[in-house]
Amino acid sequence: MATTHARAAARLMISPSVILLLGWMLIPLGMTLYFSVLRYNLLMPGDNPFVGIENYQYFLTDPAFTAALINTLALVVGVLAVTIIGGTLLALLLDQPMWATGIWRILVIAPFFVMPTVSALVWKNMFMNPVNGLFAHLFKSLGLAPFDFLAQAPLFSIIWIVSWQWLPFATLILLTAMQSLDREQIEAAEMDGAGALSRFRHITIPHLGRAATVVVLIETIFLLSVFAEILVTTNGGPGNASTNLTYLVYAESLLRFDVGMGSAGGVVAIILANIVAIFLMRAIGKNLDA
Amino acid sequence: MARAVTPQRKALNTAIAALIGALIFFPIFWTVLTSFKTETQAIADPPVWFAFDWTLENYTAVNQRSDYLLHFWNSVVISVGSTLLGLMIAVPAAWAMAFVPGRRTKDILMWMLSTKMLPSVGVLVPIYLLFRQLGLLDTRMGLVIVLTLINLPIIIWMLYTYFREIPGEILEAARMDGASLREEVTHVLLPMAVPGMASTVLLNIILAWNEAFWTLNLTAAKAAPLTAFIASYSSPEGLFYAKLSAASTMAIAPILIMGWFSQKQLVRGLTFGAVK
Amino acid sequence: MLNTRFMMGTVAGLALLSGLTSAQAEEITIATVNNGDMIIMQELSSIWEKETGNTINWVVLEENVLRQRVTTDIATGGGQYDVMTIGSYEAPIWGRQDWLSPLNDLPGFDYDDLIPTVAANLSAEDTLYAVPFYAESSFTLYRKDLFKQAGLTMPDQPTWDQIRDFAAKLTDKPNEVYGLCLRGKPGWGENLFVFGTMVNTFGGRWFDENWNTTIDTPEWKAALDYYLDVMTKYGPPGATSNGFNENQTLFQTGKCAMWIDATSAAGRVFDPAQSDVADKVAFTASPVAEVPKGNSAFWAWALAVPASSHKQDVAKEFISWATSADYVALVGKEKGWVAVPPGTRLSTYENPDYIAAAPFAATTLDAIESADPNDATAQPVPYSGIQYVSIPEFQGIGTTVGQNISAALSGSMSAEQALQSSQRSAEREIRRAGYGN
Repeated sequence: MATTHARAAARLMISPSVILLLGWMLIPLGMTLYFSVLRYNLLMPGDNPFVGIENYQYFLTDPAFTAALINTLALVVGVLAVTIIGGTLLALLLDQPMWATGIWRILVIAPFFVMPTVSALVWKNMFMNPVNGLFAHLFKSLGLAPFDFLAQAPLFSIIWIVSWQWLPFATLILLTAMQSLDREQIEAAEMDGAGALSRFRHITIPHLGRAATVVVLIETIFLLSVFAEILVTTNGGPGNASTNLTYLVYAESLLRFDVGMGSAGGVVAIILANIVAIFLMRAIGKNLDA
Repeated sequence: MARAVTPQRKALNTAIAALIGALIFFPIFWTVLTSFKTETQAIADPPVWFAFDWTLENYTAVNQRSDYLLHFWNSVVISVGSTLLGLMIAVPAAWAMAFVPGRRTKDILMWMLSTKMLPSVGVLVPIYLLFRQLGLLDTRMGLVIVLTLINLPIIIWMLYTYFREIPGEILEAARMDGASLREEVTHVLLPMAVPGMASTVLLNIILAWNEAFWTLNLTAAKAAPLTAFIASYSSPEGLFYAKLSAASTMAIAPILIMGWFSQKQLVRGLTFGAVK
Repeated sequence: MLNTRFMMGTVAGLALLSGLTSAQAEEITIATVNNGDMIIMQELSSIWEKETGNTINWVVLEENVLRQRVTTDIATGGGQYDVMTIGSYEAPIWGRQDWLSPLNDLPGFDYDDLIPTVAANLSAEDTLYAVPFYAESSFTLYRKDLFKQAGLTMPDQPTWDQIRDFAAKLTDKPNEVYGLCLRGKPGWGENLFVFGTMVNTFGGRWFDENWNTTIDTPEWKAALDYYLDVMTKYGPPGATSNGFNENQTLFQTGKCAMWIDATSAAGRVFDPAQSDVADKVAFTASPVAEVPKGNSAFWAWALAVPASSHKQDVAKEFISWATSADYVALVGKEKGWVAVPPGTRLSTYENPDYIAAAPFAATTLDAIESADPNDATAQPVPYSGIQYVSIPEFQGIGTTVGQNISAALSGSMSAEQALQSSQRSAEREIRRAGYGN
C-alpha cells in the first residue's frame, strides 16, 4: 500500500482544499455565533449589547419556526419524490428504442440550464398568474374558475417549479445508470418468462439504487437552501405557508435587519442541516462504498 | 439474440417521448416566443401562438435600459474563473483522496459536502463586512472567490469519483517506470480523466452561472452578472411579460446553448460514481 | 488690439478647458427602483452624462430587493452606492444615524419650491436628508364609463360603505371586471400601504401612548373584516400577489372598476400609450369610514447621498439635477406632461401645461398637502406616520403584519388569528426593543 512518503504528499495535496473550506466555514460561522448572542439590529447602530441566548429563545419560540421546519421538510421530500419517480419513468422511456432520441433528451434536460430566478419569474407570471397566466386561460377555456396557485397552494406551486428544474438532473443520472444495465441479464429474465413489470421490479430498480442515492444526496444539498424561487414567487407567504428555514433566516436578517436574531436562526439552520447531513452521509456512505 | 422491435412500437415510443419532451420544454419555448410579441399580445386571451406581429422591440428596450454585454461578460468571467480556480485546488485533493485513501478520507469528503449545506443567507452580513474590509465588494474577483468556495466540494467529489475508477495498477506501472509524481499526474492520470473533468467543468459553469444569492448581494453595478440583470425586470410597473421574456431569453440563452452543444460531455461524466 | 482680443480669447478658452478637466469626470453608482418614473430618469440621465462628462452605473431593482440591498450597504458602511433611492420612511431614521449626507445647501437648488409637507417628511430635526423625486398620497380611481352604465355617481368624498355597494354592482366576473382592486401582496410598503389607512379611518392605531400594542382591537377587526369581505367578493383572483404594479396592470387593461391606491398611478393610467382605459378614468378622494383622517397614505421616493460615498460632489450634482424643476420640464418635453414625476414641486402644479395634461393634478396636490403624519389617528399615538410607524422596528413588525393580513386574504388564517398573531409578534418586537419602559 501507500508509503509514508505518498501519504505525506497526499496530505499536502488535500490541505489547500481543507484549509480553504475550513476558513470558509469557520470564519463566517464564528462571526455568526458571535452576532447571535448580541442584540444587533442593522438599523439601530449602537453598542450591540450582549444578550446571551435571548435571540435563540425568540427564534425557537417564534411560531414561524415550526412552520418553516415543516415546510423545509415538505419541500425537500416533495421535490425528491417527484424527481426520482418522474426521473425513473422518464429514464425508462428514453431508454426505449425510438427515433431521434437526442432531440427529446435535449428538450428534457433543458430546464436544468435555466437560472432559478428566471424559472420562478416565468412560472409565476406567465403560467400561474390567475388573470393573465396560461393556466388561467386554460381553466377559463374549459369553463372553470381560474385557480390562484401561489395563494391557494403556495408550497405545492414551489415544489412544482423546483421539481421542474431538478427533474432533468435526476433523469440524466438515472438514465446513465439504466444504460449501464446488463442487457443479457434482462434477456435472460425475459427468456425465463418474467413480465416487463417484474423485470423492472427485480432487476432495474435494484440496479438504480446507487444512482438514486446520488440524486438524493446532491439534490438534498441544494434543496435545503432553496431561496430564490420563494423570494420571487410568494415571499414566503401567504402567512408562513411557504416559508422554509432559509427564507425565515433571510426574513429575520435582511427584511427585519435583526442580524442578532438572523444569526441565531442561521446557527439553528446550520445545526439542523448537519443533522440531516450526518444521516444522509451515513446512509449514502454505506451505499457508495460498494 | 437481439430483441425485435416493431416499427409501430418504435413510433409509439417516439410519440410519447416527443410529447413529454415538448411539455417539459414548453415554458422555455413560450418564454422565447413571448419575447417577440408586443406587451398586449403577450397577455392576450386566448393566447396567440404564431400569428402575431413578430417584433424585436422588447430586445431593443432591454438593451436600452441595461448593459447586457457587461452583465454577460461578468457572468462568463465569474463562472469560468471560479471553475478554473476550483479545478486547480480540487485536482490535487481529489487525486490524493482517490489514490492514497486514508482512514479519514471518506469523512473528509463528507464533511466537505456538508459545508455546502450552510445556509448562505445566515452568513451574508459577516461576509459583507469582510468583503468591505478587503475591498472585494462589487468586484469580479470577490465573486470568483466565493463561487469557487461554494462549488469546491462538488468539484472535489466529482473528480474523486472519476479518479477512483482509474485502475491504480496503471499508475503503479508508471511509477515503476520511474515517472515522477508530476509526470504521473500529467501524462497518465489527466488524459484518462479528461471526460470526467470536462463534465465537472461544465456542471460547475452551469452552477456558477445560475447562482443567484451571492452574485446578487455582493455586487452593485460593475461586477453584476446576468442574475442581477434579470432581477431588474421582475415586477416592474405596467405590462412587462414581453420585456421579461426578452430579458429571460437573453439571460439563459448562452448557457442553454452551451449546455446543448456539450450535452454528450456533460452527461458522460455526470454519474458521481453511481455507475460502475 | 485684434491681437489682445485673440489672446484674451485663448486665455478664456484655456481657462474653460482647464476648468473642465479639473472638474474631473467621475463615475457614480446609483441604486433605484424599477418604477416607471425612475426608468424615465435612467433614460434621460444620458443628457446629464453628456453635459457633465460624468458616467453613471445603474443598479435598478424591484422595491423589496432594492430596500434590502441599500439597507445592508448603508448600515455596514459598504460604500457601494453614491446615490440611493429611499423612501420617506427611511430618510429621517437614517438621517438621525448620520448615514446620509445633509442636503440643506445644494448649490442652486430651489428649496422654496418643494411642497412643504413633502420636505418635512424627508427631514429630521430640520435637516433635509433626501430630496424628493416623486411623492404620492392615495386616492380612488374609478371607471366613469362603468359607473355611468350602472347609473351610479361617485361622491367627492366616498365612504368605504359606499365603495362596497358600488363594487357589488360593478363586479362582472364573467367579463373579468372586478369591482374593487386593492393591494394584497404582503409587505409594509405593499398591502399595508392601503390597509394601514383603512385602520386609521376605521378608528384604529398601532400603539397607544404607552407603546402597548393595539392590533387585536375591534377597530382593526372592523377594518380587516371589511377588507376581507370586499376582496373575496369583488376583488380580482390572485389578490395576494397583487402589489401596486400588478394592480396597475389590471386597471390599465380594464379589469378593475375601482382601484384605491397611490396617486402616482394617475400619470400612467391616464396615458393612452400605456393604458387601455385612459379616456374612461376618473378619480376622487380616498374613502373614509368612522374617522375622517388618516385615510390617505403618504409616501415619497427620494434621492439621498450616503455618507459613505466618496463622490459626494458629483452625487449631489446629480440629485440636484434629477429633482429640479428643469428636470420636470425635460420629462414634460420628452415624455409628455402627464408623465412628469408628481407631488414634489409647487411649480409643477402652477404649470399650465401640466394642469392641462393632468386632470388629476389638483386632487393629488390636495391629498399630498393634507396628508399629516402627525395627526392620522382618532386616538393619541406616540409615533408619527400615516400608514407606517416611523420607528426602525417597524420594518420587522410591518413585514409580519403584512404577511398575516395576506394569509387572512388567502384564507389560510382567520381574521382573528391574523390579528392575534400580529399582536403577539408586534408585542415581542416592541418589548425586545425596550419601548415604553
